[in-house]
Parts: sequence; structure tokens; C-alpha cells
Amino acid sequence: MLQIKDLKAKIDNKEILKGLNLEIKPGEVHAIMGPNGSGKSTLSNVLSGKKGYTVSGDVTYLNENLLDLEIEERAHKGIFLAFQYPLEIPGVNTNIFLKTSLNAIKKAKGEKELDAIEFLKLVKQKASELKFDEKILSRQLNVGFSGGEKKKNEILQMSILNPKLSILDETDSGLDIDALKIVSEGVNALRTKQSSFLIITHYQRLLEYIKPDFVHVLINGKIVKSGRSELALELESKGYESLS
Amino acid sequence: MNQFKIDFDKVIESLKLSNENIDSRKKNFNQFLENGFPNKKVEDWKFSDLNQIISSNIKNLRFHSDLVLSKIDKTIFIDKFVHNKIVFLNGAISKIDFSHEDDAKILLTKDLNQNENFKEVNPLVSLNNALNADYIRITVKENYSLSKPLIIYNITTKDLKSTVLNLKTDIILEKNSSLKLINLFDDDSENNFINIVQNFDIAQDAILKNYKIDHKKNSNIKYCFNNINLEKNAISENFIFSTGSKFIKNEINCNLNDEYSSAFINGIINLTDSQHHEIKTNINHLAENTKSYQLIKSVLNDNTKGVYQGKIYVDSKAQKTNGYQLSKALLLSENTEFDGKPELEIYADDVKCSHGATSGNLDEDAIFYLMSRGLSNQQSKELLINGFLLDAVEKITDIEIKDLIKNMIGIIE
Repeated sequence: MLQIKDLKAKIDNKEILKGLNLEIKPGEVHAIMGPNGSGKSTLSNVLSGKKGYTVSGDVTYLNENLLDLEIEERAHKGIFLAFQYPLEIPGVNTNIFLKTSLNAIKKAKGEKELDAIEFLKLVKQKASELKFDEKILSRQLNVGFSGGEKKKNEILQMSILNPKLSILDETDSGLDIDALKIVSEGVNALRTKQSSFLIITHYQRLLEYIKPDFVHVLINGKIVKSGRSELALELESKGYESLS
Repeated sequence: MNQFKIDFDKVIESLKLSNENIDSRKKNFNQFLENGFPNKKVEDWKFSDLNQIISSNIKNLRFHSDLVLSKIDKTIFIDKFVHNKIVFLNGAISKIDFSHEDDAKILLTKDLNQNENFKEVNPLVSLNNALNADYIRITVKENYSLSKPLIIYNITTKDLKSTVLNLKTDIILEKNSSLKLINLFDDDSENNFINIVQNFDIAQDAILKNYKIDHKKNSNIKYCFNNINLEKNAISENFIFSTGSKFIKNEINCNLNDEYSSAFINGIINLTDSQHHEIKTNINHLAENTKSYQLIKSVLNDNTKGVYQGKIYVDSKAQKTNGYQLSKALLLSENTEFDGKPELEIYADDVKCSHGATSGNLDEDAIFYLMSRGLSNQQSKELLINGFLLDAVEKITDIEIKDLIKNMIGIIE
């Protein structure tokens, strides 16, 4: 699904990613762990197309050069980034945003767009699965949402848009244990043989709920070690120091 | 100014005026003659040099029009809700319809001799006083609330060119009465100067909701002056939707004359090409426990200019005044300009007054967030701009009119 070869990324002339290699196959869940400043968020930004980076290397996604695609084209082709800090957008109703987003993607795929009633039915069902109070969806996007509500809103968007490759950037940060369980269940419900996940996290905690197939350690812009899920436990006990 | 003198004589001749009225008009005529159109040397006009704007946009300006009335294009009328109508067609009143109301409760007069002129406010008001050729005064009797809104249509047709139009309306709300008013501009004409003066006297416990809609793109230059007097417990809610004309300056002078009166002035300036719009307010807190609130949101594209000058004056008698104003502007191109001038002049010590102003571009991170959900760059920007404007539109308390304006902006919900 996704092959990353020798990916380098600079911002303001500072090199953050220094030759990163990674391959994700359909149905796999990969976790990337690393200390602060190792380049985790840069990786998720570069994969979703955020401007401002000078990027080199090869990134192939579903047999296409991902780096050539615009931000919204990546979304149309099934890439979803759950933001570490979801933005507050005053004056934009959450439901309208969700519907605009879903229909933009459906339109790009040549599928029939949902009307208001079909959309509300879908959103109601998805919100209840995530134990998400749907009243919140008539409020302005993320404005005045608690940290947990913002993260749940990201997962709700993910489950409505049904992406092929989901990138979760520190989705566990700021979540209490109950919210963490609900969010994890939401993610697990989306795991299929066709959908893949890249979970970026600082702590092992999230990986107790979302079992990864592979764990990679990112330090100073490179993956320094890869392994199975046990690697996360090893990191938890020994820390990143032992690897750098 | 020669043309001004010739046209003034024509106007006086064509109208049946009392000697008293003619004298008053002559005084106003001289006041305008001395000053002419205001230029940027006049403090209130330093961001909008009207003299220069008129001379560079209008050739051979005439102060009098002998246009024969054409028919009203009825498709202009708002069909979203039932309403009363007054139609100014090229400056002349061509329709008055209050069929939804109790006749005995609304007093109308078109007698120019009863038109009490203002004292010397500024040269443009003097110009209006000297030349206005059609006029209406509406009095809403005590305890009466109009069952439907009143829309004053200011329509100009394409055969009107290079002309000064002076429109004047007086509205009197007696005790405990109320009126929802929309002033709607619809211009097919080009390069005229339209000068509108409206006076509102709002008695105790009365409520005025006053919405101005200048939506249709046109090349006219406009000045719109509202004077509002509020007595005890009276409320004046104003909304200015400013997006159609080449140039428009909306000026509101509001006197909070007695206790517990309040004034709300909210508005949107949304411009493209080389438009230039200004909102200027003077809120005068002249009694205790009075309140004012202002929120102006501006969106500037291309080579446009937006101006907001908001003044709050608090008299030494006006203790416990609560005054607030906020201006936010989005500058979406490098060639836009926004000038904000907040002014607080306070002579009482127990007051709460504040003001704020911001200007900037759209948040790039917010655009990235929306695009990462599949929205195009254009869609993302539109959503953010509508969200920015919605804040001000939500202040409109009349739901029908709020929906009408949302619809005009293109806000979907």
C-alpha cells in the first residue's frame, strides 16, 4: 500500500527526516514510536501533504507517487490524518463540515453524494458507536470541545470517511483511560484486510488497546529499529536512551 | 458648482414649497456651497476622500433628474416573506403599501413642508436638505407593533446616470411601538451619487430593528446617514450588509438620551475588485445605564479598501454605561487596505467600555486541516470566510431576515 524510500524532509533549512524507509502492506498496523523532536509529526505532515517542507525521496501509495498529489487528492484517495491538535474552526458547523468532507471525497471517487437525511443517519450511527454525544455535532467545529471530544471527533471523521490508510498522530495524548478505550475500539472496528494504519505515539499505552503488527523506533529522523509488538514493551522498560 | 446652482433653482421651482421651507433650503444650499463634497482633509473623511472618489468616477454630475418614472420591476421584491413596501424609484416615491397593517396605527405624510431639516450636521446632510424632492415620514402610533416588516426599496434603473439623488425618510416610533425595517438597494444604474438621510425618533419602550442591505454589485457612490434618538428603555438594533456598491459610507449617529436605552450596530463589509466601503459610528451615551454593542466583520479581496471608524462618547451624566466595539478584518490579498479608528471619549468614571481590532489572513493550518478532509483549497477558504462572517450575522435577532441575509452571502446550514 505504502512504500517510503529514503525520505528526507527539511523545514526552514533544518533537516528533520534524514532518510526514512518504511513499507506498509494492506491490513497492517504499524506503530512509530520515538522521543520528542525525532520527526514523528513531520512524517505525518509530509504524508498528508502539508506545505512548507522541502521533501526528497520516494513515496509510493497505491502505485502512485504520493508526493505529486495535492492535500485534498490524498484525502480523496483514502489517506486520513487524525491530528494531534485538531483545529478549532469558528463559525463552521461540525455537521456541515462532515457532510462537505464526505461528499467531496465521494464526488472525487465518482460515487453518489449523500443527501441530508442519508448523511444524518450515517452520522448518528457512527456517533453512537463512538459514544459521542451527537448534540456536539451541531456546534462549531472543535470550538469549546474538550481534549477528549476533539480526539473522538477525529476518530468519528475517520469512521465516516472510511480511509484506506489512517495516520494517527499522538491520538492518545490528552485522553483519559475511558476515552482511550472508546477511541481504540473505534480504530479497531475499522481494521480490515484492506485498511492500514500508521500509529504515531510517544507511549506504549495506546498499543495495549490497538495491537500493532510492527513497531518502529524513530530517532533523529531515521528508523533505528523495527520489530514486532514486543518491541514497544521493551522500549517502555528501557527507554529510548538505550537505542540512540 | 455652477451646475449645482442651476439645479437648485430647478428643484425649488418644481416643488410647491412654503417660504419658510425655501429659506431653510437656501441656508443648506449655502452650507454645501461653502464646503463642497468632503475631502480627506476633513478628519471624518480622512480614509475616504469623497470629493476625489466622485470626481474620478462621475463625469458631468447633475444635481437634478427629470427622469420620467419607469415601471417597477417586481422581480426585485423579496419573495421569501410577506412585507410592507415603500419604493423609491430613481429617487421618487412610486409605491407605498401598508396593506398588512392597521391603517389607524400608521401615520404617513409626504408633505415636504413638514420635513423638519436637521441642524448643520455635515455638508452632505445639507445637500440632502437643500435638494430632496421626495420625502416620507412614517409615524407608528403608541403600543402598535407592525405585524410584518417594512422594506424600503431604493431602486435605480439603467437610464439614470451621473446624477445626485437625495432620499429622505423620517421614522417616528411612539411609546411601546415596534418596527422591523429593511433598507434594500437595487441598482441597475451607473455612476450616480446617492445620498440618503434617515432620522429615527424612538420613544420610551419602543423597538427599532433596522437592517441595511446593499448587496447587488453596482458602480454607484453612496452616502447613508442615520440619526437615531433613543428614549428611556428604547432599543435600536442595526445591521449593515455592505457588499454591493463601488463606494458606500454608512454613518450612524446614535443618541442614547435616557436611561436603559440600548443600541446594537453590527455589520459585514465584503468586497471584491476595487470597492471601497466605510462604516462610521458615533454612539453618544447621554444618560445612566445605557448600553451599546458593535461588531463589524470585514472581508477584503483584490484591490479593496475597508474602513471602520467607531466612536463611543460617554457624557459625565452617563454613569454605568456599558460600551463595546470589536472590528475584525480578513485581508485576502496583498493589495487590500483596512483602516480602523476606534475612539473612546469618556467623561464619567463608573463605566465599562472596551474596544478591539484585529486584521490578518486566513489561518493556513485551518486550511490544511480542511483540505486534509478532502475539501479543495477554494472550498476550505469559503468555509472559513463564511464562518468568519457568520459570527456577525448571528447577531441579527429577526430569524426571517437573518436567513435572508445568510442566503445572500451563501452560508449553507
